Amino acid sequence: MDHEIYILIVEDELEVMDAIVNDLSEFEDHFPIETANTAEEAQSVVDQIYHANNEVGLILCDHVLPGKNGVDFLIELQSHDLARNSKKVLVTGQAGLEDTIQAINKARLDHYIAKPWTKEQLDSVVKEQLTNYVIDRKYNPMEFMAILDSVKLAESMRANPLTDN
Amino acid sequence: MKINRKQIIGSTVGILGLIIPFFLNINGLSEAGHVTLGVFFLAAAFWMLEPVPIYATSMLVIFLQVVLLSKEGLFFHSVTDSYTPDSYTAFIGTLANPIIILFLGGFILADAAVKYSLDRNITRILLKPFGTSPKFIVLGLMVVTAVLSGFMSNTATTAMMMTVILPIIARVKNNDPLRIGLALSIPFAANIGGIATPIGTPPNAVVLGALNQQGITIAFGEWMVLAVPLVVVALLMAWFILTQMFKAQTDHVEIDMSGRFNTSKNAILLYVVFGITVLLWITEKAHGMKSAIIALIPVVFLTMTKVITKDDIRKLPWEVLWLVAGGLSLGISMKSTGLAEWIIGSISWSSFGPLLIIIMFGSVCLLIANFLSHTVTATLIVPLAVSLATSGLATEGFDLVIVSIVIGISASLAMMLPISTPPNAIAMSTGTIETSQMAKAGITIGLLSLVLVILNAVFYWPIIL
Repeated sequence: MDHEIYILIVEDELEVMDAIVNDLSEFEDHFPIETANTAEEAQSVVDQIYHANNEVGLILCDHVLPGKNGVDFLIELQSHDLARNSKKVLVTGQAGLEDTIQAINKARLDHYIAKPWTKEQLDSVVKEQLTNYVIDRKYNPMEFMAILDSVKLAESMRANPLTDN
Repeated sequence: MKINRKQIIGSTVGILGLIIPFFLNINGLSEAGHVTLGVFFLAAAFWMLEPVPIYATSMLVIFLQVVLLSKEGLFFHSVTDSYTPDSYTAFIGTLANPIIILFLGGFILADAAVKYSLDRNITRILLKPFGTSPKFIVLGLMVVTAVLSGFMSNTATTAMMMTVILPIIARVKNNDPLRIGLALSIPFAANIGGIATPIGTPPNAVVLGALNQQGITIAFGEWMVLAVPLVVVALLMAWFILTQMFKAQTDHVEIDMSGRFNTSKNAILLYVVFGITVLLWITEKAHGMKSAIIALIPVVFLTMTKVITKDDIRKLPWEVLWLVAGGLSLGISMKSTGLAEWIIGSISWSSFGPLLIIIMFGSVCLLIANFLSHTVTATLIVPLAVSLATSGLATEGFDLVIVSIVIGISASLAMMLPISTPPNAIAMSTGTIETSQMAKAGITIGLLSLVLVILNAVFYWPIIL
């Protein structure tokens, strides 16, 4: 890859943020992690990442945040030319039914993790979503075989005619 | 478009290579031969250093030949003593060369097989008898891979088989060498299996296309009679070496292969067309219809019945056809301008016996193909063998067909490095193996298989041909 694929975590409680970052340490070498405490800060982090010609592969977002809430932030991202492709995961204990429906219908939410989560659960969701992201974006699956879901990546290679040379 | 240093060097070398021969006056080489030498330098430099994709180089080669060397091009409008220019249709016509059409048929069949999961279902059925002992599982996987890669691309076969072995690898203990053996068995078996049929892998096409231009045709079934025994022995040898080098610690391996054959109308049509096509290919001798003609059967019937749709057709690997066509086109000029003969003439072949020539071509090819594309290697070397035959410089006993097949097969046996072949690159990307392990096994199997090729070339093939 000639550019980085970021994981963005949006969370206002510091202990929770630390826990997520810690749980995702095995991805950090390949997918740098950025954090934001509010939706407004997250918006500017997203812009910075794309401005530097990198991209956001995955957003893990809390719902209840000071200021704009997580679901509204994710819905707004849908009108962002590039970040609309990012995989979006809501990590929350407090999103009501109405918010959740909004997130699915209007922000094309990819996954919902209810707090509290386990490290295994979080890792497997992140792995799955990043795998889907690199497949959707048609990146060379071989670059991610060792870290993401290798079977799914191999399957995607099978589906696209491959050639000897 | 970003341009890096490698691209700048590659382009510079290639362009200088194209221009310099225009300013030289080489004794014994026609004017057109000088031009072809330039095109050859450019193609070789571009194919080796890859400033542009290898198929783009092939397109450029055809373009340059049409413009610089054809009767309708810039320079050679009439016949002279030293050069009878071909019409431009000869160069662009390589795109419809019988071997290209044969490959097109193979592509359509392989694409449909993947679409209706025929590849996976064949794997499931064929793996069953191999039980659960690691040794035999590896053998089973290698046999299935080799069989499939005879009809599909080696790379596509490897990708599919990875979906089979990765779950096994995940269940085997981290320090069990079986993991390495498994991960290497697939690309190696795919490379070896591709040799088995004319459509198995593009180097075979290069060889058959070049022979075709000399008026020599090898039937589909005949190629298989020549190649399959070699493939079987090489495969068993590779299996033995891999299971010795990477001895399994566990004694029991489970493969989870559930699923059933697709029984939709389209899938059944595919099975029938696939079966008929392969049957007609291997019985060419009996009915006399050429394999390229038979290749039109899947093309016509699978598209008419919409088993293969417009979208599927668009996704076919057309660049491989251009790659092979570019090589065939270059071969035309190398021969008609006397360039190949001139290159060949610079070595005094009469001092080499036919056996030594076979050994030389085989080992040079095996060596180069580890670093370059297998197809490109065959493309660059086959015209030399052709000229050696037509120039009459070779010693008595030199057989063009045998030497050409040696070149094609040796190219396929190059599997020492991750860059040697796309199947190797896929296996490497799983993170299960180290380059040194691949190199150790790849060199051993490559060299021993080359010995097999030479034995075949001396003792077996002359009986068949």
